[in-house]
Amino acid sequence: MKHSFGNLSKGGKAALLVFAVLCASVFLASGSSIGSPEQSQTTRAADSATPGRFVDVTQRLGIHFQHQASHTSRKYLPETMGSGVALFDYDNDGRLDIFIVNGAPLGDPTPKGAIPQKTGPKYWNRLYHQKTDGTFEDVTEKAGLQGTGYGMGVAVGDYDNDGYEDLYVTAYGGNKLYHNNGDGTFSDVTAKAGVGGSGWSTSAAWVDLDGDGFLDLVVLRYLEWDFDDIWCGEHKEGYRAYCHPDYFKPARPLVYHNNGDGTFTEVSEKLGLSKPAKGLGVALADYDHDGHIDLFFANDSMVEYLYHNKGDGSFEEVGLVSEVAVDIDGRTYAGMGVDFADYNNDGWPDIVVTDLANQRYALYQNNGDGTFTYVSTQSGLARMTLAHSGWGVRLFDFDNDGWKDLLIVQGHDLDTIELTNPNLRYREPMLLARNTGKGFVDVSQSSGEVFRQSWVARGLAIGDLDNDGRLDAVVTTNDGPAYVLHNETPSANHWLLLKLVGHKSNRDAIGASVKLVTASGPQFATVSTASSYLSSGDKRVHFGIGKENSAASIEILWPSGIVQTLKSISADQILQIDEPVAPANAKPAVK
Amino acid sequence: MCESSRDRSGILCKAVMLLLFVPSICAQQTDSDYAQGVAAFRAGDYAAAADLFAKADVAAPGTTDALICQAKSLIHLQNFSSSEGALRRYIALHLDSDEALYLLGFVLHRENKVRESLEIYTKAAMLKTPTGEDLKIVGLDYVILNDYANAIKWLEKAVELDPKNKDAWYYLGRAYYSRSLLPESRRAFLTVLDLDPRDARAENNLGLILESEAKPDEALEAYRKAIDWQAGSAHRSEQPYLNLGNLLLELDRAGEAVASLEKAVELAVNNASCHLKLGTAYLRANRLPEAQRELENAERLEPENAAIHYQLARLYKQVHQMDKAKSEFQRTEELQSRAARSRPPDPPQP
Repeated sequence: MKHSFGNLSKGGKAALLVFAVLCASVFLASGSSIGSPEQSQTTRAADSATPGRFVDVTQRLGIHFQHQASHTSRKYLPETMGSGVALFDYDNDGRLDIFIVNGAPLGDPTPKGAIPQKTGPKYWNRLYHQKTDGTFEDVTEKAGLQGTGYGMGVAVGDYDNDGYEDLYVTAYGGNKLYHNNGDGTFSDVTAKAGVGGSGWSTSAAWVDLDGDGFLDLVVLRYLEWDFDDIWCGEHKEGYRAYCHPDYFKPARPLVYHNNGDGTFTEVSEKLGLSKPAKGLGVALADYDHDGHIDLFFANDSMVEYLYHNKGDGSFEEVGLVSEVAVDIDGRTYAGMGVDFADYNNDGWPDIVVTDLANQRYALYQNNGDGTFTYVSTQSGLARMTLAHSGWGVRLFDFDNDGWKDLLIVQGHDLDTIELTNPNLRYREPMLLARNTGKGFVDVSQSSGEVFRQSWVARGLAIGDLDNDGRLDAVVTTNDGPAYVLHNETPSANHWLLLKLVGHKSNRDAIGASVKLVTASGPQFATVSTASSYLSSGDKRVHFGIGKENSAASIEILWPSGIVQTLKSISADQILQIDEPVAPANAKPAVK
Repeated sequence: MCESSRDRSGILCKAVMLLLFVPSICAQQTDSDYAQGVAAFRAGDYAAAADLFAKADVAAPGTTDALICQAKSLIHLQNFSSSEGALRRYIALHLDSDEALYLLGFVLHRENKVRESLEIYTKAAMLKTPTGEDLKIVGLDYVILNDYANAIKWLEKAVELDPKNKDAWYYLGRAYYSRSLLPESRRAFLTVLDLDPRDARAENNLGLILESEAKPDEALEAYRKAIDWQAGSAHRSEQPYLNLGNLLLELDRAGEAVASLEKAVELAVNNASCHLKLGTAYLRANRLPEAQRELENAERLEPENAAIHYQLARLYKQVHQMDKAKSEFQRTEELQSRAARSRPPDPPQP
């Protein structure tokens, strides 16, 4: 079938052309600090009524994924938690591909101590390759990515800096590291690398924790859990429910240091990252501008963790003192998905965490002094999320107006919730909240038919699938299909998509801080594939720049400490930026 | 918020009111101690009445209903355990006394012995059909057991038998609300308002429903109405003030919340939630010495409340008492962890 992805716009074609021309361009300058607190005096349009337009193009593009949760009468907790999705360009053809994690069969009952295994194609994880016409082909078998266990999440990173993105897939009962061979195939290198782990792993993040130029791996684990036959909920037919996480002990995360030779060493205790947690979501940013990347763990029904990187190779958990561990009333909540990005363009990364109905999603605004303020109410988020349960979440600028908006996928964890709480829903539509510059406005109802469909949504990955400058979304649902949502928001706003390539730093440039300045003000972003829930997003950094047809400057603080400045960059292009050789006087930009 | 304790005191008031009519049974007796007991009861001297009824029973054990009358007197004195003793002695001699059994069911409810209360109500119901008032207490037994499905079942029967029982409708509304059955809860509270158009409790609860439905402006109006309606009452509740203040805090209107929460504290000086919310409002309004006073009051009343320690930590941080702040943050985390661990590790099997 000859079909372009969605309606590939004129801008999209132009973008691909510009990418070809500019990918070798490197601009070098130094001296400017990055991410300094600077209030945005924006002139960007902020019409709160402006909706988005997302269109379900799943079938048209040839994605036919069906998640297998294997629900049982025993209500084993993993059944309701999966699964994740990744957007990444595994073959470096300039087009994003899609990887989706799948479950495995469960016995009813499943014996205690069992490690579920996939038994056939219906349970395979799937890799979909994007062809030149924008449609996808299933290349799972060829790539060797069928997987083995009951999958949960996925993290993308080029751990060996060979220029090809590798995959880490988490699961209940042990994880897998797949090395990208660069020829369309992957090799399972878990045993050699020593990153198999154990227990119940969820979200994972690739990030260079010690600045040696190699990506390390942070793997959250959810609970100390086994296939015990525990009855939770009311003792009557149809009311058995998934147990609350309070019934189980928290589990230590796994933190693997990349030795640079294809092997890893577990260092969670050594690095001070070993506090037991009920981790579901992970995100990263340098929240205090000390030049070192910090980590946030979204924990379920306990305090949330903010790990401050002390800069000496170790971390300190500062969630409570930074006021991001609980809500405004000091209550814990069911933290699930997370994003760590600057929503108010003041240069300081903020944190958004999704949770369950009656809790309200948490938005913490960075005060710039190492603390945060809970602003869910003031921002409008509390009111629009009180009755909803959110999982995958991303702050990104869907309409290219210069403000990062919110897309959140929703659905309760309890399939019995409507029996016990009739005003709540198991299946829920997604939430699209537009950032007006003064707060968030719910524009879901006017942003396309997909926002009127109710799903048991879990994973969410964001990326520009058709390189048209408008960010698209892929959503997974529990025991249901995955959805590819093409962003067709009508807008004449301009944009920039930056592909950073590290040389002294890790090749993915994960952890780099980017400051973009236009006549309308500054914007900030951190290069990362981690965030959301169990999912991995497009590593390229996207900026909407409204009516401006160029950026006055782009400053990059690379993980190596090198600071690079580019001037007068034309809008509406995908720009590859290579890390420069460190200038003689370059020093890490420490605040 | 703070509803369950207030509900229970409400039950007592209603039950005691009904018991004012009971001496008519006692009055049939002619013994002198007994007759004096009746007179004391009617005069409202329940302590004397209880003693006189006890003497009357000693004089003629088991031949009169003096023990029932003594039990009723003791209920007026809120001496439920002695009342239970008197009733059990009477029932031992009069196994088929439905009156004694229903009264014992109520007394056991008041003693928080709800499972025994339900057993006794079951026995009583075999002898005589329960009234709407009896079923209301049965429903409330189930509320205390956290079994809202059965609570709703019996409260619905209570209002079916006695459609004008305002309290039964009120508790039914509360039970629906606890199960997030908001439309049903709204209907129950509106019925209360049909029966008593200025019932502040029902209006206050309508405010809670509106808040749950993300209708803050209407909720504010409901709380203000409830405050207005209870203005002339000798027993004003802190609840509508607390709910109003809390919602204003949610709406980031801490300055306005202060006045309402100050009133809540004035009405319920031993309610930690009121002090916590007032302290939080002062904290947000940057009235730090007052915040410290209120949060420390809250902490004295509920030392194991993590939310109080969290706000105290934020306050100490703001006034640069970092050691105290750190200690309070640690206490918050300890208490949060303990709360999470407090769930039973192995839920009962079906």
